[in-house]
Amino acid sequence: MYKLTVNGLHKKYGQHEVLKGVSLKARAGDVISIIGSSGSGKSTFLRCINFLEQPCAGEISLNGELLQTVLDKKGSQRPRDPKQLQKMRTELSMVFQHFNLWSHMTVLENIMEAPMHVLGLSRAEALQRARKYLAKVGLTEQQENKYPAHLSGGQQQRVAIARALAMEPEVMLFDEPTSALDPELVGEVLRVMQALAEEGRTMVVVTHEMGFARNVSNHVIFLHQGRIEEEGHPAQVLSQPKSERLQQFLSGSLK
Amino acid sequence: MFLSGFGPLILAGTWVTLKLSLLSLILAMLIGLAGASSRLAKGRLLRGWATAYTTLIRSVPDLVLMLLLFYSLQLGLNQCTEALGLAQIDIDPFLAGVVTLAFIYGAYFTETFRGAFLSVPAGQIEAAIAYGMTPWQSFRRVLFPQMMRFALPGIANNWQVLIKATALVSIIGLADIVKATQDAGKATMQMFLFAVVGALMYLLITTVSNLLLIWLENHYSAGVRKAVL
Repeated sequence: MYKLTVNGLHKKYGQHEVLKGVSLKARAGDVISIIGSSGSGKSTFLRCINFLEQPCAGEISLNGELLQTVLDKKGSQRPRDPKQLQKMRTELSMVFQHFNLWSHMTVLENIMEAPMHVLGLSRAEALQRARKYLAKVGLTEQQENKYPAHLSGGQQQRVAIARALAMEPEVMLFDEPTSALDPELVGEVLRVMQALAEEGRTMVVVTHEMGFARNVSNHVIFLHQGRIEEEGHPAQVLSQPKSERLQQFLSGSLK
Repeated sequence: MFLSGFGPLILAGTWVTLKLSLLSLILAMLIGLAGASSRLAKGRLLRGWATAYTTLIRSVPDLVLMLLLFYSLQLGLNQCTEALGLAQIDIDPFLAGVVTLAFIYGAYFTETFRGAFLSVPAGQIEAAIAYGMTPWQSFRRVLFPQMMRFALPGIANNWQVLIKATALVSIIGLADIVKATQDAGKATMQMFLFAVVGALMYLLITTVSNLLLIWLENHYSAGVRKAVL
């Protein structure tokens, strides 16, 4: 039984085809890393999974439930029932490259916002959850009333992860979570992500961190020009790449 | 005697000015929000109408528009009632003043809000949508509060201009501050004194509202790190 399956996803911008049929299957506890050079379509693929971008074709199901779609005039998929998509999004928390914490809310408010106003939790329950996950990402109560602008990038991304965790999602989507961070702050975010992986959370991670892909994930997908060029267990894919493209890519990012 | 007994008249005029500006402000802001949404909408027709509205209104002097709108409203209504064989309905000057001012300043607010909406980073809305918020929730909880920070300086500016523009409605027969102080000045032959009193009344209103706006700006700037030179 798969938690998340994506089948034959296609995405076009005008005439330019960015994704040419990409599929993914995640079981509970899987940590899937998606790697590839810029322009390979890896971020677009992740953003299509929760419909921040509308694919042109393909199927997405979460826990066996297929997202029903219809095609609009421009040939993009639209959800048949927006409520189904909204519900699916609450189970697919996303962590963004640029954190996207709501800048007018404090750390605590950021984490409590969606549990209260989307999931309908009471303030007390949401507060309890927020504190629990803040502790999990290693932030203290002294930081909970600060605004995002007063935190370092690493702290902001950890708050963003706590915000994602507070939804208690089925699958977590990470869109290059460390790419906007200073090198010395990357470690603190990766450590949190590794701890989540060890807890058995299901994660799909678009990343440039080969160390993370190799050591933490149990499946690696290499995207090239909108297609899956190679995929498999990281020990195999990253150590004995078969395709020439992947060999080139890995030799360019030796780590 | 203080103000030769014209105090109550002037206070009543101030009250009219205040009511007029506040009601026009509310209506103009609603028009502005709708106008900005239309200008940013995907539909070409909606965008076209909103652009025509703001361009036209902002290119013609307030006084000309006011004369045009106020008299044309009455004339248009007369034609309707005549065609239907009804008795003439006189438009209440106060209501006409509110509608006219709101219609004019709605155009300025449209531009203020449009700029403010564009200033909110797209990632903020994306996060709201990605966490399952409905379009209305993401507007109310994220887009609106963030947009207000960018809109407030413009709102403050428009509000001040709007208060002063209410003085123009005395020409359509409303007993506002200008009318009251002019009447008092003529009756007592002390035009200068009462002109100063009128000016002070406007100054009082704008000062109080500036204090309120400073508070609002602080409120909506929560979480913004201020640069220090």
